[in-house]
Amino acid sequence: MDKFSKLISDIAKLWAGYGNSYLRGISSTLVLALVATAIGCIIGFVCGVLNTIPVSRNDHAVKRFFLRLVRVIIRIYVEIFRGTPMVLQAVFLYYGLPYITDNAVKFSSIWLASIIIVSINTGAYMAESVRGGILSVDPGQTEGAKAVGMNHYQTMTTVILPQALRNIMPQIGNNFIINVKDTSVMFIIGFPDFFAAHRATAGATFLYFPSASIEMAGYFTLTLIASALLRFLEKKMEGDSNYELVAADPLVMSAGTYSHPERSKK
Amino acid sequence: MNSSQKAILEVRGLHKVFGNNPVLNGVDFEVYTGDVISIIGASGSGKSTLLRCINQLEMPDSGEILYRGENVLARGVNVNEYRSRVGMVFQSFNLFNNLTVLENCVAGQVKVLDRCKKEAHERALEYLSKVGMSAFINAKPRQISGGQKQRVAIARALAMDPDILLFDEPTSALDPETVGEVLSVMQTLAEEGMTMLVVTHEMAFAQDISSQVFFMHQGKIHERGTAAELFGNPELAETRDFLSRFRAGRQLAG
Repeated sequence: MDKFSKLISDIAKLWAGYGNSYLRGISSTLVLALVATAIGCIIGFVCGVLNTIPVSRNDHAVKRFFLRLVRVIIRIYVEIFRGTPMVLQAVFLYYGLPYITDNAVKFSSIWLASIIIVSINTGAYMAESVRGGILSVDPGQTEGAKAVGMNHYQTMTTVILPQALRNIMPQIGNNFIINVKDTSVMFIIGFPDFFAAHRATAGATFLYFPSASIEMAGYFTLTLIASALLRFLEKKMEGDSNYELVAADPLVMSAGTYSHPERSKK
Repeated sequence: MNSSQKAILEVRGLHKVFGNNPVLNGVDFEVYTGDVISIIGASGSGKSTLLRCINQLEMPDSGEILYRGENVLARGVNVNEYRSRVGMVFQSFNLFNNLTVLENCVAGQVKVLDRCKKEAHERALEYLSKVGMSAFINAKPRQISGGQKQRVAIARALAMDPDILLFDEPTSALDPETVGEVLSVMQTLAEEGMTMLVVTHEMAFAQDISSQVFFMHQGKIHERGTAAELFGNPELAETRDFLSRFRAGRQLAG
């Protein structure tokens, strides 16, 4: 029991001394996760729309070649960024760009570098989620849109993507929660997130376990709040189950089947 | 049908193969303004595929579709513009599930025809009241019945001011009670002179509204004629067979 009270007192001590640095870490983590998830979603939606442009054999050869090229590029992007660890991508890009370009191109801020890396990583996952979301929408919806003459972009933005978005909300939530946790690997390039706060304080005080306890509780609270908010958002997107009736429907017949009216005399 | 007038739609030698199965085996016909053509025939005879080819939801393998003299299957034709003039009503309604009844009828006008919102709303309301759905403008498709959905789908197609309306078995997915409300809307349209191409299994209805009836068999228009000719005095054995099987089925049911 005294181990427990020791832990409590250590945590209290840590919080009194370094509370602000933990809180700053939390806010950095949240901002990075939110911004990167949002940008990642946009990347995912753009990839999804580009990936589903229909190709017909009536199209010009150049257009067909270009569409195939776009698909190949998206495929390569998805496979590379989904298939390598984000911590490595961070190191690779952050130190690789100045290395290759002799310091001509380098990230001016750790924030920018972190946002870019987490965004393109999220985008790679979202591209596949969006593709799944688009596939999950009934093909009849596309046909209905085409039948009124909408082009691919209009069909997507007016009809398909709003429905796909609703269908992939759970995946977007998943990605956001993963990002809240996984942005912690950005410490490798020096991003000052919640986990970096732990490294700094634990290094200074040697209170590794009490600090880790704060981190555990902190991350868990963040993700718990995030998933509650996402559920709420999903409910909102379902829309109102009620609707306003303007008047009675005059054509519904209350009983029996349609009896064919006599042919009018001509 | 008036031979001095130019056809809206001419279909020439249309072929369509799914895998190794020929579905359309050379279909030829013309549609003139005011025609109401019913297409009947057994399942698998190519009726729906024919309509879907006309609208280019399926690409025919060979043949021509001339819309006001222009081959719309040729390269460089703006398919979307052509589709906006050829309305389509589907068996499965295909209303936009994320939009309300009113928005369903407005979206195409605003996006495709570049109409201003106000005009689009007025027209949508006009056509929705024509099909008796003006009360439900705020409802989402999942909140209304099948017959009501189909009437909204008809209003959505009409709001685009199409030259011709294609109906692909519009009542086949409906409850018996709601078939009537859709058929009576279609009958009104036919009486008002709308050019219509209707794939249907409602023989009494086809007999009543059609200026011409096509009987499709094995991917071809096997027999064609006025409603009186085709229903009253079919010439070919397959047509007689189909109609008598159909009537026998109805007697059992009725």
